[in-house]
Amino acid sequence: MGDEEKRGIFGSLKDKFKDYIYGMAAHEMTRQALKTRGSMEHLFILITMGDLLGVPILPPYYSLRLLPYVVPQISTWKRRMLREKDLTDALA
Amino acid sequence: MNGGLGRIFKEHPDRRYIMFGGKGGLGKTTFSAATAYYLAQQGHRVLVFSVDPQASLSDIFQRDIFGKGPVEILPNLYAQEIDADKRIKAYQEEIRKKIFDMYGFDKIPDEIESYIQAAAAEPAMEESAIFDEVVDIVVAGNYDYYIYDLVPLGHALYYLSMASVYDEWIERITKLREDMRQYEEMAAAIGKDKELEEDMILKELQYIKHRISTSSGILTDREKTAFFFVIIPEEMILIDTQKAAQLFAKFNVPLSGYVVNRVIPESLASQDIPEYLRNRLQMQKGYLKKIQELFGNEVLAQVPEFERDITGLPMIQKMAEAMFGTGR
Repeated sequence: MGDEEKRGIFGSLKDKFKDYIYGMAAHEMTRQALKTRGSMEHLFILITMGDLLGVPILPPYYSLRLLPYVVPQISTWKRRMLREKDLTDALA
Repeated sequence: MNGGLGRIFKEHPDRRYIMFGGKGGLGKTTFSAATAYYLAQQGHRVLVFSVDPQASLSDIFQRDIFGKGPVEILPNLYAQEIDADKRIKAYQEEIRKKIFDMYGFDKIPDEIESYIQAAAAEPAMEESAIFDEVVDIVVAGNYDYYIYDLVPLGHALYYLSMASVYDEWIERITKLREDMRQYEEMAAAIGKDKELEEDMILKELQYIKHRISTSSGILTDREKTAFFFVIIPEEMILIDTQKAAQLFAKFNVPLSGYVVNRVIPESLASQDIPEYLRNRLQMQKGYLKKIQELFGNEVLAQVPEFERDITGLPMIQKMAEAMFGTGR
């Protein structure tokens, strides 16, 4: 067994171990942070683009500037804002 | 009392943004044009521009300048009327182009397109578009003096409050955006994620904030801005102006003084004039006294009612002489 190969096996073991620890300890935190960020994103779109839902919030001149950046989010965001809440929301 | 206006300009050469405010029809455009004329005669490079969607600079200079950018009226004297519609259309096009560039669509999605169109139909859109163009004009810095031909009082207050509302709004969402950024950074740090992309939205917000603070900064800059109220000797005007002055003070607009317009020459009293005119003269005398009591030294000039309306350069020149005196 050459040194190279040895390092390969240990290297991948080390990676696996890192993933394992990450999964146990940090994955949930990361997920939580991203989830919070996601909710904030929706809040952000609501306060800048509220007109899309018929909620006039702002003089729209400058909010139009932001429109191009939120194009991909618009459809999911509208769905999220307009849908009804149910029990599974609490579990999510 | 007359000559006070010229003195103010001499004493405060740093005040480069000049505004005349007052109720509709009292002579804001006339005074703006005459002041621009006077300053240009003094050798300064002057731009007088209108922030009113229903502008009347074209009428007073008797030239169609609407939407043509700064038009040279005389050497050193430029006038501009902003075409809000044109600006809005160009702006919408810019937004569409950005969406095309970013996502490579063949066509803007219906939902997005209808938003772009609806936004342009909002009542505040014209004002906002003009507001935005004024920033361009002022930031370019091509002139010694900028004379704002303002909208009537109510709108002017709206314009001012827009600046502070925008300011506050942008402040808050920028903060929200920065908080979002923190969560993103946190997730990236804990997880083993790739490099973070630059937050383009945050960048846009900062750009918007910068533009708004530039224009509201000018409106409230005591060193560089002079705001004059136009009044006439009539009761309602005096009451409204006092109220407005308080509101303007609240928005930190640096009030520099008052100019009285449409004063019927008192010399007429000694002539053979009809009862009607004599009564008006009598009434005016009372209100001029009241103006003196209310505003005292802040009254910078009294301008007579002319024998005809002020349009065209010869009349503008006459008006400038009435405001600033003929002596250089």
